[in-house]
Amino acid sequence: MEMVAEQPKSACRGAEAVLNLQPTSSVSIAYHSLFGPHDDLILLELDEKLLPDVLHHRVTLRGQPDEDAVLCTMSKTYAVKFVGTSNSVLLIPPSEQLVLCGNTQDCDEKDRVEKLVAPVIKVAPGVMELVEVAPRIDRLKMLLSENPYRFDDALMSEELDEMEKNNTRLYSWSDLNDRVQASNDELRSGLQALSAVEIDGYWRIVDENYMDGILNMLLHNLVLNDWSLNGLNETEVIGVLQSDGFPCEIAQHCLQVYGSKTDDGVWKLDEKQVCVHFARAILRGGKMRMDNFMVEWMRKIPEGMQASYDMLEGEVLTDKIGIETWVYAFDVSSLPSAPAERFSMLFRERPKWEWNDLQPYIRDLSVPGLSSEGLLLKYTRRTQPTPDAEPVFSAR
Amino acid sequence: MQIQVKCNCGEQNCPEWAIVELQGVIEPQPAFQDRLQHLEIGQLCRPSSQTYTFTVGYHELTGSKVPLKKPLLVLKKIRHADDEKVELEVIGIIRQRILFKTRPKALISRPQPVVKERVSAPGSLVPS
Repeated sequence: MEMVAEQPKSACRGAEAVLNLQPTSSVSIAYHSLFGPHDDLILLELDEKLLPDVLHHRVTLRGQPDEDAVLCTMSKTYAVKFVGTSNSVLLIPPSEQLVLCGNTQDCDEKDRVEKLVAPVIKVAPGVMELVEVAPRIDRLKMLLSENPYRFDDALMSEELDEMEKNNTRLYSWSDLNDRVQASNDELRSGLQALSAVEIDGYWRIVDENYMDGILNMLLHNLVLNDWSLNGLNETEVIGVLQSDGFPCEIAQHCLQVYGSKTDDGVWKLDEKQVCVHFARAILRGGKMRMDNFMVEWMRKIPEGMQASYDMLEGEVLTDKIGIETWVYAFDVSSLPSAPAERFSMLFRERPKWEWNDLQPYIRDLSVPGLSSEGLLLKYTRRTQPTPDAEPVFSAR
Repeated sequence: MQIQVKCNCGEQNCPEWAIVELQGVIEPQPAFQDRLQHLEIGQLCRPSSQTYTFTVGYHELTGSKVPLKKPLLVLKKIRHADDEKVELEVIGIIRQRILFKTRPKALISRPQPVVKERVSAPGSLVPS
């Protein structure tokens, strides 16, 4: 039975002897000279399409020591799970595995004799598997909220020395990479969703009052200088805001948050962004009667802009107290991004939701492999009092 | 904390490792526990193009070469002594395995094996 196939040239026999085993041939499976637990050797199951990313160094593992690690490509995040096996998985390295052998001389002298040997370096207890997950982006908001950029920051930035900066919990892009379990693309989207801005190499969220201040200054100057809402000159606007004491990056950021670029160096103010800002500012003081709120809101909006209540989808909720309708701020961006936590908060706010009210507060949820119907099925109970009534969602 | 996954293989050149997989546990005799190096576990044969047999001690297993649904990467965890940074290096890839999942056939006329295979399923023959 032991007919030997032609011998490989290398001194160490290995995986090739198994993989290229010819019909009617045999190979001896033996313990490698370095056989052992080798806990530093890990098997990772990977989709074929992720292979190029790995081979080109575009993949990292992210997480704090006390967290479950995630694997991140440029654009996606995967949970890493160990799946054990009760089978014996004999791992056989290829013959020229210098990383294991050290150098070829360490390899078995016996193999130079005419016998094919495939040495087993380790019996693998299992395999790491990847499951695509939503990025754990809530951490980002938490970190950046530690130290929002305020009026005094603008004054202090020149005086803040290196040591102080280290103590005041400021996070650069690479600091965020270390602490937030998300891919680079997802991290960038998260920063954009928070309207974060990079100042002096650190990513910051800007305090609401500060944004209020700079927007009002911009609108004030708009009237003063007879600027057009739809044709703002970038250089002119930033110049004026700077002379009013705002740093250049903040002035630029103001345009990006409240406007959109229409042409090179030309911006127009975004009606919705501006109106929503003022609605939020008004409701910061608390619940208001709907009619009072609408009056206040219309008063605050800049000349030439139109506000409509549906702009406030996902920003406010209403309450019926007696015969009066009251309105209060309830911002979807302040809610957790993970579905279980999100639904929990929503049902804590209100035990029952109609679809039209619920939809703006869940449409940004994304879970790989779960559609929005799937999300509803998983986290809510749907009831319909009568066939022609609106369906109502409540906690499971 | 970030751990970079590196690969020095180059795109097409990831060395291919092999896996021989069987149900059950491989046990060397207690006397040999400390000197496993080079100890033969068994003979892997390929009697025909589709079948493989693996003979360990008194047992003969029959199986086949099966491509993996998803490739496995062999990663080595490297801890740099000087800066405590941990890296994962891709040192190989596995695309197929020789899988044995049938009940072993007992070969009665063999001498006392040094290494034997214990099948985890109940009711199997495990000569002492």
